[in-house]
Amino acid sequence: MSEPLLQVNAVTKTFGGLHAVFQVSFQMNSGEIIGLIGPNGAGKTTLFNVISGFYAPNKGQIHFKGQDISGKPPYKLAVLGIGRTFQVVKPFAGLTVLENVIIASFAKHPKRRQAEQHAWKILETTGLADRANAQASSLTLAGRKRLEVSKALALEPTLLLLDEVVAGLNPTEADRTIELILSLRNMGITILIVEHIMRVIMNISDRVVVLNFGQKIAEGIPRDVAMDSGVIQAYLGEAPL
Amino acid sequence: MSRKYLLLILAFGILLAVPSVIQDTFFLRIITEAILWIGLAISWDVLAGYTGYLNFGHGAFFGVGAYTTALLMNLCGCPFFVALPVAGVVAGIVALIAGIPTLRLKGAYFAIATWALARAVQQVALVMDITGGPDGMRLPTYLHPGFFYYLMLGVVAGIFALYWFLLEKAPFGLKVKAIREDDQSAMSLGLNPTKIKLQAFILSAIPAGILGAIYAYWITYIDPASVLGDLVTDQAVVMAVFGGLGTLIGPAIGAIIIFSFKTYFWAYLSNYQVLYLIILGGVIAAGVVFLPNGIWGTISGYLQTRRTLKQEPVVQEKTDKGAHHV
Repeated sequence: MSEPLLQVNAVTKTFGGLHAVFQVSFQMNSGEIIGLIGPNGAGKTTLFNVISGFYAPNKGQIHFKGQDISGKPPYKLAVLGIGRTFQVVKPFAGLTVLENVIIASFAKHPKRRQAEQHAWKILETTGLADRANAQASSLTLAGRKRLEVSKALALEPTLLLLDEVVAGLNPTEADRTIELILSLRNMGITILIVEHIMRVIMNISDRVVVLNFGQKIAEGIPRDVAMDSGVIQAYLGEAPL
Repeated sequence: MSRKYLLLILAFGILLAVPSVIQDTFFLRIITEAILWIGLAISWDVLAGYTGYLNFGHGAFFGVGAYTTALLMNLCGCPFFVALPVAGVVAGIVALIAGIPTLRLKGAYFAIATWALARAVQQVALVMDITGGPDGMRLPTYLHPGFFYYLMLGVVAGIFALYWFLLEKAPFGLKVKAIREDDQSAMSLGLNPTKIKLQAFILSAIPAGILGAIYAYWITYIDPASVLGDLVTDQAVVMAVFGGLGTLIGPAIGAIIIFSFKTYFWAYLSNYQVLYLIILGGVIAAGVVFLPNGIWGTISGYLQTRRTLKQEPVVQEKTDKGAHHV
């Protein structure tokens, strides 16, 4: 088998005395969709921040395309091919939707004209083209989440980290976002997705990694993980005897 | 957009013709100083309005440029046109050194740090012998109002054109706005905030230094209070805020209005000078409350609303399946 695209090796990240992420290891192969789940406070977003370079791990390494990237700043990783979205969406509110995506396109297309053409293509893919000239602040929540994905996508990433892009959407919008994610996979992008909505995770993930209190408690195909007693315990608590 | 260009070119053309129409050197002097303030207000706005960092020590770059020119011309007899670019470079280097630690700060902390740095620079000029301490410095005199008018006009027009290209046309403008709107998101999209902020800081400082150089040679006398005092920064800030942050035209309009108002008071209502700061303060307070986007921001917002009202509303419901009903 070929080398994994992303290799997370015994990564630990502590805040003061708290192990937000403790010795977590997993790997991702090209073209996979991996779901990252766990109860609130399990360390999912912290792990995202470590992989995308916002935090340096205290221990452990992360290899991307065979290269050690632990502790590299986010703007370097973005150019290397790691795109991410934020759970709390961060649009450039005062700029238009198109300008938002042009800024992200500069990573691969430094010229303004090419960046703009590329941004239009991205907006066609994500279905925001008809809102291109609207202020980002005027978008609905669904629109803003789509804009987050558009910006990350404009980097032409090989690995995309999606942090709760479905949560908070109504069922129709959720279905459209799921379609979008699946179409991204068909474009050859490898995706790590954090989501609380099990319907989403179970349907689209090839494998699922479960975190609880910063540690990995299970990994496997969605059906097996859903049956795992440790996972059930983490979510529902211990059954009374 | 093209109408905006035409207006700018027209304004520049009128300004070019001014010295041949107005013979009165007093008026020429006033217009020269108004153009100086346009330059200072837009250069302050590069960091404040476009990048989102309020620099309350902008006057330090102006003063550093002025003192660099005075020192070079007095000590080694440099010609003015050698001192001028050096003044810009020195201001840029000061910005680089000051920016590395201070640009890590945000909001009020950055404002306080830059204000304190400017006070430190002023203190240096006050205690050193070479700068003449509180007595200041004299420069070789060159009394030629027309020369300074055209020099000021040419330099400020050049600064305006450079800023226009970099901030409104080139990728750099969108990059600094991305930092202003959300630096975390900018970072995740491949932008290095520290680098871009430093570039913006230097881009804001160099023109201020060059303007300081022209001012020193023009006025022929500088001292720590006049070129390194709070007033230089404060006026530039007030002009930019009053005119409209995050644009180039706004601060220029603000500079013209506030400077004209001030000059009118000093020249014609000198008996009522005590009222100047009171009225100015009142107008600024009212402006901030009633025109939070500044004069230009309010006008362009109004024009945009009118344009939108003229257009046929776009029917969204049919194409956009319920995305608007969250």
